[in-house]
Amino acid sequence: MNKERAVKPEALFPDVPQTVFLFRSCTGSLEYPGTESAVREVLKKLGIGVEMDPDQTCCSGYLLTCSGHHPQFSLAVTARNLAIVEKKGLDTFVFCNGCFGYNRELSHILLSNPGYLAAANASIAKWGYEYKGKTRIFHVQELYLRLLDRIEAMVERPLKGLRVGAHYGCHYLAQQYGILDEGGYPTFHEKIIRALGGEPVFYPERQACCGYSVGRGFTHKESLVQPHLVKKLESARDSGVELMTTVCPGCNVALDREQPNLSRMGKGEFAIPVIDLGQLIALAIGVPAGKLGFEANTVSMRKVLNKLGLEEK
Amino acid sequence: MSRERPRDPGDKAVDVYSLVPNLRECLACGKCAGSCPVAALSPSYNPRQIIRDVLAGNEERWLASEEIWRCFWCANCYTVCPADIQFPLLMMQLRYRALEKGFGLKYIVPFKRFALRAREDALTFAPGEKGREKIMRIRKGIGANPWPEVSEKARAEYRELFELAGVAEWLDEITSGEEKPVCLRYVEGRIVDE
Repeated sequence: MNKERAVKPEALFPDVPQTVFLFRSCTGSLEYPGTESAVREVLKKLGIGVEMDPDQTCCSGYLLTCSGHHPQFSLAVTARNLAIVEKKGLDTFVFCNGCFGYNRELSHILLSNPGYLAAANASIAKWGYEYKGKTRIFHVQELYLRLLDRIEAMVERPLKGLRVGAHYGCHYLAQQYGILDEGGYPTFHEKIIRALGGEPVFYPERQACCGYSVGRGFTHKESLVQPHLVKKLESARDSGVELMTTVCPGCNVALDREQPNLSRMGKGEFAIPVIDLGQLIALAIGVPAGKLGFEANTVSMRKVLNKLGLEEK
Repeated sequence: MSRERPRDPGDKAVDVYSLVPNLRECLACGKCAGSCPVAALSPSYNPRQIIRDVLAGNEERWLASEEIWRCFWCANCYTVCPADIQFPLLMMQLRYRALEKGFGLKYIVPFKRFALRAREDALTFAPGEKGREKIMRIRKGIGANPWPEVSEKARAEYRELFELAGVAEWLDEITSGEEKPVCLRYVEGRIVDE
Protein backbone atom coordinates (compact mmCIF):
# COMPACT_ATOMS: atom_id res chain seq x y z
CA MET A 1 0.00 0.00 0.00
CA ASN A 2 1.13 3.49 -0.80
CA LYS A 3 2.17 5.08 2.48
CA GLU A 4 2.10 8.65 1.20
CA ARG A 5 -0.86 10.46 2.66
CA ALA A 6 -1.60 12.68 -0.32
CA VAL A 7 -0.50 11.79 -3.81
CA LYS A 8 -0.60 13.55 -7.14
CA PRO A 9 -3.00 12.10 -9.69
CA GLU A 10 -0.01 11.51 -11.99
CA ALA A 11 1.49 9.28 -9.33
CA LEU A 12 -1.77 7.37 -8.97
CA PHE A 13 -1.96 6.86 -12.71
CA PRO A 14 1.39 7.16 -14.47
CA ASP A 15 -0.50 5.76 -17.44
CA VAL A 16 -4.14 6.59 -17.96
CA PRO A 17 -6.09 3.31 -17.87
CA GLN A 18 -7.69 2.37 -21.19
CA THR A 19 -10.51 0.45 -19.58
CA VAL A 20 -11.85 0.62 -16.06
CA PHE A 21 -14.25 -1.47 -14.05
CA LEU A 22 -17.03 0.78 -12.83
CA PHE A 23 -18.42 -0.38 -9.49
CA ARG A 24 -22.19 0.07 -9.42
CA SER A 25 -23.42 2.18 -6.53
CA CYS A 26 -26.84 1.23 -5.17
CA THR A 27 -27.70 4.82 -4.32
CA GLY A 28 -26.17 6.15 -7.52
CA SER A 29 -28.23 3.82 -9.67
CA LEU A 30 -31.50 3.97 -7.74
CA GLU A 31 -31.85 7.31 -5.95
CA TYR A 32 -29.95 9.27 -8.61
CA PRO A 33 -29.63 7.13 -11.74
CA GLY A 34 -28.28 10.19 -13.55
CA THR A 35 -25.07 9.87 -11.56
CA GLU A 36 -24.14 6.51 -13.02
CA SER A 37 -25.14 7.69 -16.45
CA ALA A 38 -23.09 10.90 -16.13
CA VAL A 39 -19.97 9.05 -14.99
CA ARG A 40 -20.25 6.67 -17.92
CA GLU A 41 -20.75 9.50 -20.40
CA VAL A 42 -17.80 11.47 -19.03
CA LEU A 43 -15.48 8.45 -19.16
CA LYS A 44 -16.70 7.68 -22.68
CA LYS A 45 -15.92 11.22 -23.81
CA LEU A 46 -12.49 10.94 -22.19
CA GLY A 47 -11.88 7.87 -24.31
CA ILE A 48 -11.86 5.41 -21.43
CA GLY A 49 -13.64 2.10 -21.81
CA VAL A 50 -16.09 1.18 -19.06
CA GLU A 51 -16.94 -2.33 -17.94
CA MET A 52 -19.60 -3.20 -15.41
CA ASP A 53 -20.78 -6.61 -14.29
CA PRO A 54 -24.31 -7.72 -13.40
CA ASP A 55 -22.78 -10.23 -10.97
CA GLN A 56 -21.52 -7.41 -8.75
CA THR A 57 -23.60 -6.78 -5.63
CA CYS A 58 -23.87 -3.98 -3.09
CA CYS A 59 -20.57 -3.34 -1.25
CA SER A 60 -22.49 -4.11 1.96
CA GLY A 61 -20.93 -1.56 4.22
CA TYR A 62 -24.43 -0.66 5.41
CA LEU A 63 -24.42 -3.67 7.72
CA LEU A 64 -21.32 -2.36 9.45
CA THR A 65 -22.31 1.28 9.92
CA CYS A 66 -25.67 0.21 11.28
CA SER A 67 -24.18 -2.48 13.54
CA GLY A 68 -26.32 -4.90 11.55
CA HIS A 69 -23.88 -7.72 11.85
CA HIS A 70 -20.29 -8.63 12.60
CA PRO A 71 -17.90 -7.94 9.72
CA GLN A 72 -17.63 -11.50 8.32
CA PHE A 73 -20.46 -11.01 5.86
CA SER A 74 -19.18 -7.72 4.45
CA LEU A 75 -15.67 -9.17 4.17
CA ALA A 76 -16.97 -12.11 2.14
CA VAL A 77 -19.02 -9.81 -0.10
CA THR A 78 -16.00 -7.57 -0.69
CA ALA A 79 -13.85 -10.57 -1.58
CA ARG A 80 -16.52 -11.79 -3.99
CA ASN A 81 -17.02 -8.46 -5.75
CA LEU A 82 -13.33 -7.74 -6.06
CA ALA A 83 -12.61 -11.29 -7.26
CA ILE A 84 -15.01 -10.62 -10.14
CA VAL A 85 -13.08 -7.49 -11.11
CA GLU A 86 -9.71 -9.14 -10.66
CA LYS A 87 -10.60 -11.84 -13.14
CA LYS A 88 -11.00 -9.16 -15.78
CA GLY A 89 -7.54 -7.82 -15.02
CA LEU A 90 -8.95 -4.35 -14.32
CA ASP A 91 -8.78 -1.83 -11.51
CA THR A 92 -11.96 -0.94 -9.62
CA PHE A 93 -13.39 2.57 -9.96
CA VAL A 94 -16.20 3.64 -7.69
CA PHE A 95 -18.31 6.78 -7.86
CA CYS A 96 -19.57 6.66 -4.29
CA ASN A 97 -17.50 7.53 -1.24
CA GLY A 98 -19.27 4.78 0.67
CA CYS A 99 -18.22 2.12 -1.84
CA PHE A 100 -14.74 3.66 -1.81
CA GLY A 101 -14.34 3.59 1.96
CA TYR A 102 -15.70 0.10 2.42
CA ASN A 103 -13.93 -1.53 -0.49
CA ARG A 104 -10.65 0.08 0.49
CA GLU A 105 -10.96 -0.64 4.18
CA LEU A 106 -12.39 -4.14 3.92
CA SER A 107 -9.88 -5.22 1.28
CA HIS A 108 -7.12 -3.81 3.46
CA ILE A 109 -8.39 -5.84 6.41
CA LEU A 110 -8.58 -8.97 4.25
CA LEU A 111 -5.10 -8.50 2.85
CA SER A 112 -3.45 -7.81 6.19
CA ASN A 113 -5.10 -10.73 7.99
CA PRO A 114 -4.44 -14.04 6.20
CA GLY A 115 -6.98 -15.82 8.39
CA TYR A 116 -9.81 -13.49 7.39
CA LEU A 117 -8.85 -13.73 3.74
CA ALA A 118 -8.83 -17.53 3.91
CA ALA A 119 -12.24 -17.54 5.60
CA ALA A 120 -13.74 -15.12 3.07
CA ASN A 121 -12.30 -17.03 0.14
CA ALA A 122 -13.52 -20.33 1.58
CA SER A 123 -17.08 -19.00 1.64
CA ILE A 124 -17.02 -17.97 -2.03
CA ALA A 125 -14.84 -20.75 -3.45
CA LYS A 126 -17.73 -23.00 -4.44
CA TRP A 127 -18.80 -20.42 -7.03
CA GLY A 128 -15.29 -20.31 -8.42
CA TYR A 129 -14.17 -16.99 -6.89
CA GLU A 130 -10.87 -16.24 -5.27
CA TYR A 131 -9.76 -12.81 -4.13
CA LYS A 132 -6.02 -12.23 -4.29
CA GLY A 133 -5.82 -8.48 -3.86
CA LYS A 134 -4.68 -7.51 -7.34
CA THR A 135 -7.35 -5.00 -8.29
CA ARG A 136 -6.69 -1.53 -6.93
CA ILE A 137 -9.55 0.65 -5.76
CA PHE A 138 -9.92 4.18 -7.06
CA HIS A 139 -12.57 6.87 -7.02
CA VAL A 140 -13.50 8.22 -10.46
CA GLN A 141 -12.76 11.75 -9.22
CA GLU A 142 -9.07 10.77 -9.22
CA LEU A 143 -9.37 10.18 -12.93
CA TYR A 144 -11.16 13.51 -13.44
CA LEU A 145 -8.25 15.28 -11.83
CA ARG A 146 -5.68 13.25 -13.74
CA LEU A 147 -7.39 14.19 -17.00
CA LEU A 148 -8.35 17.73 -16.08
CA ASP A 149 -6.48 19.20 -19.06
CA ARG A 150 -8.44 16.95 -21.36
CA ILE A 151 -11.70 17.87 -19.61
CA GLU A 152 -10.92 21.57 -19.76
CA ALA A 153 -10.25 21.34 -23.48
CA MET A 154 -13.59 19.61 -23.97
CA VAL A 155 -15.74 22.21 -22.22
CA GLU A 156 -18.54 23.18 -24.59
CA ARG A 157 -20.85 24.86 -22.13
CA PRO A 158 -18.72 26.87 -19.71
CA LEU A 159 -20.45 27.36 -16.37
CA LYS A 160 -20.43 31.17 -16.75
CA GLY A 161 -19.27 31.90 -13.26
CA LEU A 162 -21.90 29.71 -11.63
CA ARG A 163 -21.24 29.76 -7.89
CA VAL A 164 -20.59 26.15 -6.99
CA GLY A 165 -20.01 24.90 -3.46
CA ALA A 166 -18.16 21.60 -3.22
CA HIS A 167 -19.03 18.92 -0.70
CA TYR A 168 -16.18 16.43 -0.53
CA GLY A 169 -17.82 13.75 1.56
CA CYS A 170 -16.00 12.17 4.44
CA HIS A 171 -15.24 8.66 3.36
CA TYR A 172 -12.85 9.61 0.65
CA LEU A 173 -10.77 12.00 2.74
CA ALA A 174 -10.96 9.69 5.75
CA GLN A 175 -8.58 7.32 4.01
CA GLN A 176 -5.18 7.84 5.57
CA TYR A 177 -3.02 6.97 2.59
CA GLY A 178 -2.85 7.29 -1.16
CA ILE A 179 -5.60 9.87 -1.70
CA LEU A 180 -5.61 13.19 -3.51
CA ASP A 181 -5.49 15.41 -0.47
CA GLU A 182 -4.65 15.24 3.18
CA GLY A 183 -8.17 16.07 4.14
CA GLY A 184 -7.26 19.15 6.16
CA TYR A 185 -8.15 21.66 3.50
CA PRO A 186 -8.84 19.92 0.21
CA THR A 187 -9.04 22.05 -2.92
CA PHE A 188 -9.13 19.64 -5.85
CA HIS A 189 -12.88 19.94 -6.41
CA GLU A 190 -12.50 23.69 -6.65
CA LYS A 191 -9.80 23.16 -9.25
CA ILE A 192 -12.19 21.06 -11.30
CA ILE A 193 -15.04 23.56 -10.90
CA ARG A 194 -12.78 26.37 -12.05
CA ALA A 195 -11.68 24.37 -15.09
CA LEU A 196 -15.34 24.08 -16.07
CA GLY A 197 -15.79 27.84 -15.91
CA GLY A 198 -17.57 27.89 -12.57
CA GLU A 199 -16.72 29.97 -9.54
CA PRO A 200 -15.90 27.76 -6.57
CA VAL A 201 -17.27 29.00 -3.25
CA PHE A 202 -15.33 28.26 -0.10
CA TYR A 203 -18.28 28.38 2.28
CA PRO A 204 -17.39 28.01 5.97
CA GLU A 205 -19.00 24.60 6.54
CA ARG A 206 -17.63 23.24 3.28
CA GLN A 207 -15.99 20.29 4.97
CA ALA A 208 -18.85 19.42 7.30
CA CYS A 209 -20.21 15.90 6.98
CA CYS A 210 -23.63 15.36 5.37
CA GLY A 211 -24.76 13.79 8.65
CA TYR A 212 -26.26 10.93 6.84
CA SER A 213 -24.62 7.58 6.17
CA VAL A 214 -27.07 4.79 5.56
CA GLY A 215 -28.26 4.90 9.12
CA ARG A 216 -30.91 7.53 8.63
CA GLY A 217 -33.85 6.73 10.81
CA PHE A 218 -31.98 3.89 12.48
CA THR A 219 -28.77 4.81 14.16
CA HIS A 220 -28.75 8.40 12.87
CA LYS A 221 -31.31 10.42 14.71
CA GLU A 222 -33.06 13.31 12.99
CA SER A 223 -32.79 15.36 16.17
CA LEU A 224 -29.05 15.46 15.63
CA VAL A 225 -28.76 15.25 11.84
CA GLN A 226 -31.14 18.11 11.10
CA PRO A 227 -29.50 20.87 13.14
CA HIS A 228 -26.22 19.76 11.63
CA LEU A 229 -27.59 20.02 8.10
CA VAL A 230 -29.10 23.41 8.85
CA LYS A 231 -25.66 24.66 9.86
CA LYS A 232 -24.13 23.36 6.67
CA LEU A 233 -26.85 24.58 4.31
CA GLU A 234 -27.13 27.99 5.97
CA SER A 235 -23.43 28.46 5.54
CA ALA A 236 -23.68 27.55 1.84
CA ARG A 237 -26.73 29.73 1.22
CA ASP A 238 -25.27 32.74 3.00
CA SER A 239 -22.09 32.43 0.95
CA GLY A 240 -24.14 32.57 -2.23
CA VAL A 241 -23.80 28.95 -3.33
CA GLU A 242 -26.06 28.38 -6.35
CA LEU A 243 -25.27 24.70 -6.77
CA MET A 244 -23.67 22.12 -4.54
CA THR A 245 -21.72 19.14 -5.84
CA THR A 246 -21.01 15.80 -4.20
CA VAL A 247 -18.96 12.75 -5.14
CA CYS A 248 -21.12 10.41 -3.13
CA PRO A 249 -24.76 9.68 -3.94
CA GLY A 250 -25.30 9.03 -0.22
CA CYS A 251 -24.29 12.59 0.65
CA ASN A 252 -26.45 13.75 -2.22
CA VAL A 253 -29.50 12.09 -0.65
CA ALA A 254 -28.92 13.84 2.67
CA LEU A 255 -28.21 17.29 1.25
CA ASP A 256 -30.89 17.27 -1.44
CA ARG A 257 -33.81 15.25 -0.07
CA GLU A 258 -33.75 16.87 3.34
CA GLN A 259 -34.19 20.49 2.21
CA PRO A 260 -38.02 20.44 1.91
CA ASN A 261 -38.27 18.72 5.31
CA LEU A 262 -36.17 21.43 6.93
CA SER A 263 -38.26 24.09 5.29
CA ARG A 264 -41.51 22.42 6.40
CA MET A 265 -40.21 22.39 9.95
CA GLY A 266 -39.45 26.09 9.72
CA LYS A 267 -35.71 25.55 9.98
CA GLY A 268 -34.85 27.51 6.88
CA GLU A 269 -35.35 27.91 3.15
CA PHE A 270 -32.37 26.83 1.12
CA ALA A 271 -33.32 25.76 -2.42
CA ILE A 272 -29.76 24.77 -3.28
CA PRO A 273 -29.75 22.02 -5.89
CA VAL A 274 -27.26 19.24 -5.18
CA ILE A 275 -25.80 17.10 -7.96
CA ASP A 276 -22.86 14.81 -8.53
CA LEU A 277 -19.58 16.37 -9.67
CA GLY A 278 -19.68 13.92 -12.58
CA GLN A 279 -23.05 15.35 -13.62
CA LEU A 280 -21.60 18.85 -13.56
CA ILE A 281 -18.61 17.83 -15.68
CA ALA A 282 -20.94 16.02 -18.08
CA LEU A 283 -23.07 19.13 -18.38
CA ALA A 284 -20.06 21.32 -19.11
CA ILE A 285 -18.56 19.02 -21.70
CA GLY A 286 -21.79 18.87 -23.61
CA VAL A 287 -23.56 15.68 -22.56
CA PRO A 288 -27.28 16.32 -23.20
CA ALA A 289 -29.04 17.28 -19.96
CA GLY A 290 -31.67 14.65 -20.78
CA LYS A 291 -29.09 11.96 -20.09
CA LEU A 292 -28.27 13.26 -16.63
CA GLY A 293 -31.52 12.42 -14.86
CA PHE A 294 -31.98 15.69 -12.95
CA GLU A 295 -35.68 14.89 -12.50
CA ALA A 296 -34.58 12.54 -9.71
CA ASN A 297 -33.51 15.57 -7.68
CA THR A 298 -35.76 16.96 -4.98
CA VAL A 299 -34.47 20.53 -5.29
CA SER A 300 -35.01 21.56 -8.88
CA MET A 301 -32.10 22.22 -11.21
CA ARG A 302 -34.21 24.57 -13.34
CA LYS A 303 -32.56 27.81 -12.24
CA VAL A 304 -29.08 26.46 -12.84
CA LEU A 305 -29.99 25.01 -16.22
CA ASN A 306 -31.63 28.28 -17.23
CA LYS A 307 -28.54 30.19 -16.25
CA LEU A 308 -26.52 27.93 -18.51
CA GLY A 309 -29.04 28.48 -21.29
CA LEU A 310 -30.49 24.99 -21.04
CA GLU A 311 -34.04 23.89 -20.47
CA GLU A 312 -34.79 21.23 -17.92
CA LYS A 313 -36.03 18.14 -19.67
CA MET B 1 1.61 1.05 12.76
CA SER B 2 -0.13 -1.60 14.78
CA ARG B 3 -3.11 -1.79 12.49
CA GLU B 4 -0.77 -2.97 9.75
CA ARG B 5 0.43 -5.91 11.81
CA PRO B 6 -1.07 -9.15 10.54
CA ARG B 7 -2.89 -11.20 13.11
CA ASP B 8 -2.36 -14.86 13.70
CA PRO B 9 -3.07 -16.60 10.37
CA GLY B 10 -5.25 -19.03 12.31
CA ASP B 11 -7.64 -16.18 13.17
CA LYS B 12 -10.70 -16.66 11.01
CA ALA B 13 -13.39 -14.63 12.67
CA VAL B 14 -12.96 -10.94 13.24
CA ASP B 15 -12.51 -10.21 16.91
CA VAL B 16 -15.00 -7.39 17.22
CA TYR B 17 -13.76 -6.57 20.71
CA SER B 18 -10.30 -5.54 19.65
CA LEU B 19 -10.84 -3.60 16.47
CA VAL B 20 -8.48 -0.80 17.46
CA PRO B 21 -5.21 -2.40 18.53
CA ASN B 22 -3.40 0.96 18.74
CA LEU B 23 -5.90 2.63 21.07
CA ARG B 24 -3.20 2.93 23.72
CA GLU B 25 -1.25 5.21 21.45
CA CYS B 26 -3.87 7.94 22.00
CA LEU B 27 -2.14 11.21 22.91
CA ALA B 28 -5.31 12.71 24.35
CA CYS B 29 -4.69 15.71 22.11
CA GLY B 30 -8.41 16.20 21.52
CA LYS B 31 -8.24 16.84 17.79
CA CYS B 32 -10.96 14.18 17.44
CA ALA B 33 -13.33 16.04 19.72
CA GLY B 34 -12.46 19.34 18.09
CA SER B 35 -13.28 18.13 14.61
CA CYS B 36 -16.33 16.06 15.53
CA PRO B 37 -19.59 17.47 14.10
CA VAL B 38 -21.58 15.56 16.71
CA ALA B 39 -19.56 16.88 19.63
CA ALA B 40 -20.22 20.36 18.25
CA LEU B 41 -23.94 19.84 18.70
CA SER B 42 -23.91 17.50 21.64
CA PRO B 43 -20.86 18.01 23.86
CA SER B 44 -21.68 15.03 26.04
CA TYR B 45 -20.48 12.93 23.11
CA ASN B 46 -16.74 13.34 23.33
CA PRO B 47 -14.42 10.97 21.44
CA ARG B 48 -11.40 11.81 23.57
CA GLN B 49 -13.35 11.16 26.75
CA ILE B 50 -14.63 7.88 25.37
CA ILE B 51 -11.09 6.71 24.57
CA ARG B 52 -9.86 7.71 28.05
CA ASP B 53 -12.72 5.79 29.66
CA VAL B 54 -12.23 2.68 27.56
CA LEU B 55 -8.51 2.66 28.38
CA ALA B 56 -9.25 3.12 32.06
CA GLY B 57 -11.66 0.19 32.02
CA ASN B 58 -14.74 2.37 32.34
CA GLU B 59 -16.42 1.44 29.08
CA GLU B 60 -19.55 0.14 30.79
CA ARG B 61 -21.03 3.58 31.30
CA TRP B 62 -20.77 4.30 27.60
CA LEU B 63 -22.44 1.01 26.69
CA ALA B 64 -25.48 2.13 28.62
CA SER B 65 -25.44 5.59 27.11
CA GLU B 66 -27.33 7.13 24.25
CA GLU B 67 -24.21 8.99 23.22
CA ILE B 68 -22.56 6.07 21.44
CA TRP B 69 -25.51 6.01 19.02
CA ARG B 70 -24.88 9.59 17.93
CA CYS B 71 -21.75 9.12 15.85
CA PHE B 72 -22.33 10.20 12.21
CA TRP B 73 -19.58 7.86 11.09
CA CYS B 74 -17.86 10.65 9.17
CA ALA B 75 -14.43 9.62 10.48
CA ASN B 76 -13.20 13.20 10.85
CA CYS B 77 -11.69 11.97 14.12
CA TYR B 78 -9.63 9.43 12.18
CA THR B 79 -8.65 11.92 9.47
CA VAL B 80 -7.12 14.28 12.03
CA CYS B 81 -5.70 11.72 14.48
CA PRO B 82 -1.92 12.04 14.76
CA ALA B 83 -1.75 8.50 16.15
CA ASP B 84 -3.83 6.96 13.33
CA ILE B 85 -6.49 5.69 15.70
CA GLN B 86 -9.57 4.51 13.88
CA PHE B 87 -12.07 5.86 16.33
CA PRO B 88 -15.12 4.83 14.25
CA LEU B 89 -14.05 1.23 14.79
CA LEU B 90 -14.13 1.81 18.53
CA MET B 91 -17.69 3.05 18.12
CA MET B 92 -18.47 -0.11 16.20
CA GLN B 93 -16.98 -2.23 18.95
CA LEU B 94 -18.87 -0.40 21.71
CA ARG B 95 -22.12 -0.73 19.80
CA TYR B 96 -21.70 -4.48 19.36
CA ARG B 97 -21.05 -4.77 23.07
CA ALA B 98 -24.02 -2.55 23.93
CA LEU B 99 -26.35 -4.66 21.79
CA GLU B 100 -25.19 -7.80 23.54
CA LYS B 101 -26.10 -6.24 26.83
CA GLY B 102 -29.52 -5.20 25.61
CA PHE B 103 -28.81 -1.50 25.04
CA GLY B 104 -29.57 0.37 21.83
CA LEU B 105 -31.72 -2.39 20.36
CA LYS B 106 -34.28 0.18 19.27
CA TYR B 107 -31.82 1.50 16.70
CA ILE B 108 -31.38 -1.88 15.09
CA VAL B 109 -34.98 -3.04 15.08
CA PRO B 110 -36.11 -0.65 12.29
CA PHE B 111 -32.93 -1.46 10.36
CA LYS B 112 -34.00 -5.10 9.98
CA ARG B 113 -36.48 -4.39 7.20
CA PHE B 114 -33.87 -2.40 5.30
CA ALA B 115 -31.31 -5.20 5.62
CA LEU B 116 -33.70 -7.99 4.68
CA ARG B 117 -34.76 -6.09 1.59
CA ALA B 118 -31.12 -5.60 0.62
CA ARG B 119 -30.69 -9.35 1.00
CA GLU B 120 -33.31 -9.92 -1.72
CA ASP B 121 -32.11 -7.25 -4.15
CA ALA B 122 -28.35 -7.40 -3.53
CA LEU B 123 -28.81 -3.63 -3.58
CA THR B 124 -29.61 -1.16 -0.83
CA PHE B 125 -32.15 1.64 -1.14
CA ALA B 126 -34.47 -0.36 -3.40
CA PRO B 127 -37.82 1.26 -2.63
CA GLY B 128 -41.34 -0.14 -2.59
CA GLU B 129 -43.74 -0.40 -5.55
CA LYS B 130 -44.39 3.31 -6.10
CA GLY B 131 -40.78 4.35 -5.72
CA ARG B 132 -39.77 1.60 -8.13
CA GLU B 133 -42.01 3.01 -10.85
CA LYS B 134 -40.44 6.42 -10.50
CA ILE B 135 -36.91 5.03 -10.66
CA MET B 136 -37.74 2.93 -13.70
CA ARG B 137 -39.27 5.94 -15.43
CA ILE B 138 -36.19 8.06 -14.80
CA ARG B 139 -33.80 5.30 -15.81
CA LYS B 140 -35.71 4.69 -19.03
CA GLY B 141 -35.72 8.42 -19.69
CA ILE B 142 -31.94 8.61 -19.64
CA GLY B 143 -31.62 5.54 -21.82
CA ALA B 144 -30.58 3.10 -19.10
CA ASN B 145 -31.97 -0.32 -18.30
CA PRO B 146 -35.19 0.26 -16.28
CA TRP B 147 -33.65 -1.54 -13.30
CA PRO B 148 -29.95 -1.76 -12.40
CA GLU B 149 -28.54 -4.88 -14.00
CA VAL B 150 -28.04 -7.20 -11.06
CA SER B 151 -28.04 -10.82 -12.20
CA GLU B 152 -30.08 -13.61 -10.66
CA LYS B 153 -26.74 -15.31 -9.90
CA ALA B 154 -25.59 -12.24 -7.94
CA ARG B 155 -28.80 -12.15 -5.95
CA ALA B 156 -28.73 -15.87 -5.19
CA GLU B 157 -25.11 -15.82 -4.05
CA TYR B 158 -25.67 -12.68 -2.00
CA ARG B 159 -28.61 -14.32 -0.24
CA GLU B 160 -26.58 -17.41 0.42
CA LEU B 161 -23.69 -15.44 1.93
CA PHE B 162 -26.21 -13.54 4.04
CA GLU B 163 -27.49 -16.84 5.45
CA LEU B 164 -24.05 -18.40 5.72
CA ALA B 165 -22.79 -15.52 7.84
CA GLY B 166 -25.89 -15.74 10.00
CA VAL B 167 -26.95 -12.13 9.43
CA ALA B 168 -30.69 -12.80 9.50
CA GLU B 169 -30.28 -14.93 12.60
CA TRP B 170 -28.33 -12.19 14.37
CA LEU B 171 -30.95 -9.61 13.40
CA ASP B 172 -33.75 -11.92 14.52
CA GLU B 173 -32.33 -12.06 17.99
CA ILE B 174 -32.59 -8.31 18.33
CA THR B 175 -36.08 -7.45 19.45
CA SER B 176 -37.15 -4.23 21.06
CA GLY B 177 -38.87 -6.14 23.87
CA GLU B 178 -35.53 -6.67 25.58
CA GLU B 179 -34.50 -3.04 25.37
CA LYS B 180 -32.95 -1.78 28.57
CA PRO B 181 -33.45 1.84 29.45
CA VAL B 182 -30.37 3.90 28.76
CA CYS B 183 -28.93 6.14 31.40
CA LEU B 184 -28.12 9.02 29.14
CA ARG B 185 -26.22 11.41 31.29
CA TYR B 186 -22.51 11.41 31.19
CA VAL B 187 -22.11 15.07 31.89
CA GLU B 188 -19.33 15.94 34.27
CA GLY B 189 -19.80 19.66 34.11
CA ARG B 190 -20.56 19.69 30.42
CA ILE B 191 -23.53 21.15 28.61
CA VAL B 192 -26.19 18.62 27.72
CA ASP B 193 -28.12 19.30 24.54
CA GLU B 194 -31.59 18.11 25.43
